Amino acid sequence: MTLPVAAWYDFDPLRELYDWLRDHTAGEVVYVVAAVVGAVGILTFVGLGALVNVWLERRIIGRIQVRRGPNRVGPFGALQPVADAIKLIQKEVLQPRVSDSKLFNLPPILVFIPAMLTFAVFAWAPDLVYADLNVGVLYLLALSSITSLAIFVAGWSSNNKYALLGAMRVIAMAISYEVPMVLTLLAPVLFAGTMSISGIVDFQRHYDVWLAFLLPVPVLVYAIAATAELNRTPADIAEAESEIVAGYHTEYSGMKFGLFYAVELINSLAVSGIMASLFFGGYSLYGIDEYVPPWTIFIGKMYYFYLGLIWLRGTLPRLRIDQLMAFAWKMLVPLALINIAVVALEVLLWRELELDDAVLAAYVGVNFVLGGLLLAVFFRMLTRGYYRLPTRVRLVHDVSVPSLPAPGSAFGP
Amino acid sequence: MDEPAVIVAFWVLAALTLGSALMVAVVRDLIHAVLFLILSFVGVAGLYITLSADFVAVVQVLIYAGAVSVLMLFAILLTPSSARDNAPVPYSAPLSALAGLIGAVIIFVAIQTDWAKAGDEGRFQATAAEIGRALLDPFVLPFEVASVLLVIAMVGAIVLVRPAGEEEGA
Amino acid sequence: MTELRTPPYVVNIGPQHPSTHGVFRLRVTLDGERIVDAEMVLGYLHRSMEKLAEERTYTQNIPFTDRMDYLAAMTGNLGYCLAVEKLAGIEVPERGSYLRVIFAELQRIASHCMANGTFINDCGAWQTPLMYMFREREQILDLFEMTCGARLTTNYMRIGGVAFDVPDEWYPAIEKFVREMPARISEYEEMLLDNEILLARARDVGVLKPEVAINASVSGPMLRGSGIAWDVRKAEPYCLYDRFDFDIPVGHNGDCYDRFVVRMEEMRQSVRIIEQALSQLPGGPPSVPVPLALRPEPGEVYARIESPKGELGFYIVSDGGPAPYRWHVRSPSLINLSVLKEMTVGLSVADAIVTLGSVDINVGEIDR
Repeated sequence: MTLPVAAWYDFDPLRELYDWLRDHTAGEVVYVVAAVVGAVGILTFVGLGALVNVWLERRIIGRIQVRRGPNRVGPFGALQPVADAIKLIQKEVLQPRVSDSKLFNLPPILVFIPAMLTFAVFAWAPDLVYADLNVGVLYLLALSSITSLAIFVAGWSSNNKYALLGAMRVIAMAISYEVPMVLTLLAPVLFAGTMSISGIVDFQRHYDVWLAFLLPVPVLVYAIAATAELNRTPADIAEAESEIVAGYHTEYSGMKFGLFYAVELINSLAVSGIMASLFFGGYSLYGIDEYVPPWTIFIGKMYYFYLGLIWLRGTLPRLRIDQLMAFAWKMLVPLALINIAVVALEVLLWRELELDDAVLAAYVGVNFVLGGLLLAVFFRMLTRGYYRLPTRVRLVHDVSVPSLPAPGSAFGP
Repeated sequence: MDEPAVIVAFWVLAALTLGSALMVAVVRDLIHAVLFLILSFVGVAGLYITLSADFVAVVQVLIYAGAVSVLMLFAILLTPSSARDNAPVPYSAPLSALAGLIGAVIIFVAIQTDWAKAGDEGRFQATAAEIGRALLDPFVLPFEVASVLLVIAMVGAIVLVRPAGEEEGA
Repeated sequence: MTELRTPPYVVNIGPQHPSTHGVFRLRVTLDGERIVDAEMVLGYLHRSMEKLAEERTYTQNIPFTDRMDYLAAMTGNLGYCLAVEKLAGIEVPERGSYLRVIFAELQRIASHCMANGTFINDCGAWQTPLMYMFREREQILDLFEMTCGARLTTNYMRIGGVAFDVPDEWYPAIEKFVREMPARISEYEEMLLDNEILLARARDVGVLKPEVAINASVSGPMLRGSGIAWDVRKAEPYCLYDRFDFDIPVGHNGDCYDRFVVRMEEMRQSVRIIEQALSQLPGGPPSVPVPLALRPEPGEVYARIESPKGELGFYIVSDGGPAPYRWHVRSPSLINLSVLKEMTVGLSVADAIVTLGSVDINVGEIDR
């Protein structure tokens, strides 16, 4: 296990500790120590990230809504998440008597685990990966399917009609949107030739092109599918407050609810991280990463996409569950499939015919044009019904009442 | 494979897998049984990792713990509550004897096999690339047949749940 | 192959629910996600105003009209004062009538801001358009506060005119409002009206056919959304409305989207009316003096106005005494609600909530 070449931003005492441990202790100890230090680092980032995300979300949505966000607790409301956490912790822990007591306390923990584990495969810098799995992309997908299981257990153990309704909706949506998600995450894997995240980032760094330029349609489809998987607006029917009060976490009070909420934010950050790594170059920024610590670039990109998610949440209304399903199966899946076919063809031509790397530029053009055409066609197909009536009303100057139909025909016996 | 960490991991995961599999058969509530089954799936995935089969382990979690268990949960929720009891079945004594017999045979064969030699003969790098190559070259027919089977299953499911006399709406 | 039968189950929406616009309870019988039956349970906010009004003089009853439709207090006041003036034969001076028109139209804009904002909130947009519309509503409420001291329950109109004349700082404020509002309404229309998600949620949802609307005596934006051009301000002009030139927006389909757009357009027409009223505002007293314990001649009267929610009517019977003998309110929200079951049967719960939001009820008015 070697460490990368020292750069100006490396932390030397840590390197010296590592060297000392490797030379003076048995082989396993340095591995265990490194693992523990890395895990603590990731947990710290995740915890701090949850706090920062709460603050960011509330202030930015406040600004979108023509008002300031929290600004009482701490400078610019920076301690508001802490105040929220304290409030949630000191709340009374309620558990319905009819709930499934053995299972009731499990979901908040169960839903936090995948959220945390997602951060283990990210490439924060060259060779700064906690677990450089060869099957990184598949690992991320497996974690999202565990999340939907945890949500089901939450809805089930509440023994509440509304909660179960919410949980079933979430499961249906999660498995529906997993299909386009898998298909679009396959596209970067095809280009890079490897499923490991650091490998894909290396590919983008090596060819000096972001996969987002090569693959515009998968970026879009992944963004939408991930929003739906995260249960964020416009796809947040699971917690649609105006309909079924709070969905699967209706019965959870205090910090258990706080954990669900925090996990939603952590998952949003994780998804932004996936998008940044796989499509937008990860820690590389066309060479700047030699002068600036790469993990700052990566965290910057993560938060950039997270801001995009917040923007979506503050602006768009919510879709109904059957509209969401129709959208997934009728628009996203065909788009993703067509795209995979095109991408596979392109990769085949590129690798098998050993074409020059300049053909990638041609691919960018082709993919954008094709993507634009596909999107236009599908969009027109799906929204044709909405525009059959004019979207503006007509203005009439004088009153006029139509002649009434014969009595007893329209309303009542 | 003889490092202490791997051995400890193996025993812990084996205990987890077998313990939850036992609880599946023993526990009263059917939903709890499914949840223990999911736990045993995860245990099996861990065992795959001790064998350095990373792709298979992740696919195990993704497919079994993620999709197949959801299917089982849906199937359970569609049954009426009265039939959801993991109650004792008739003829439990002869059936347990049969299960015990099958278990004994498997354990005997497992102990008798020379695993080192058996492992050497079928040397297979279970990485994703190799599995992909295998699926497209020697095993392409089962692969294609499996996809056709899945399509048939999906079409059948849609046909089963279509409301009678209604054409498909948005 | 047996069919999968699932029994219908009853779900209570309300009375405590984030989006039933007040203490309103709807018992829906669901078959899966479709509503099979919807039963309204009302009366959670009943304060027996109609009985209490029989013990108080006519002037003392004006605050009751504030609190009926508490989001449209001015129009409530206006309807009641018009009814009593019709009963007692009192003539209101011109300035009073013009001020009444201006404030009634301002109240209409405020009420429609709230209605449309909460409608989109029900569609799921996490209060962003609501906050934008509240920006305008705050300006209007500031205008109210300048004039009569209260923002919500204004108690501004009196029998015979209005309670106070407008202060000097009111004129520049309302000029500023009238100047900026059309641009703001255009901004809302541009941001909201062609949004596909809003179209997906509200188009063809909660359709009210015109003949059903007429037969159920639905009024207000619900009626106009279904394509019927009927507005009490044009049909039976009261309070000098025949001096103003304005249009009535009429929808095409009768669904939630049409009602939403009708309310948007009505805001614009209200600004037109206010502009014309401001330019024609005469001098003079804002009200005529009326005895404290007004004793109108024995008789009965029914007067109706176009409130933001629909046709608000007052039926007052006098027996010659200082207090009315019978005081009844034809509340538009209650009558409009009678078609809720028709509109929601066959929809899912989410659509039912959206439909309820587009009916724009106010429970204070329903239960009185």
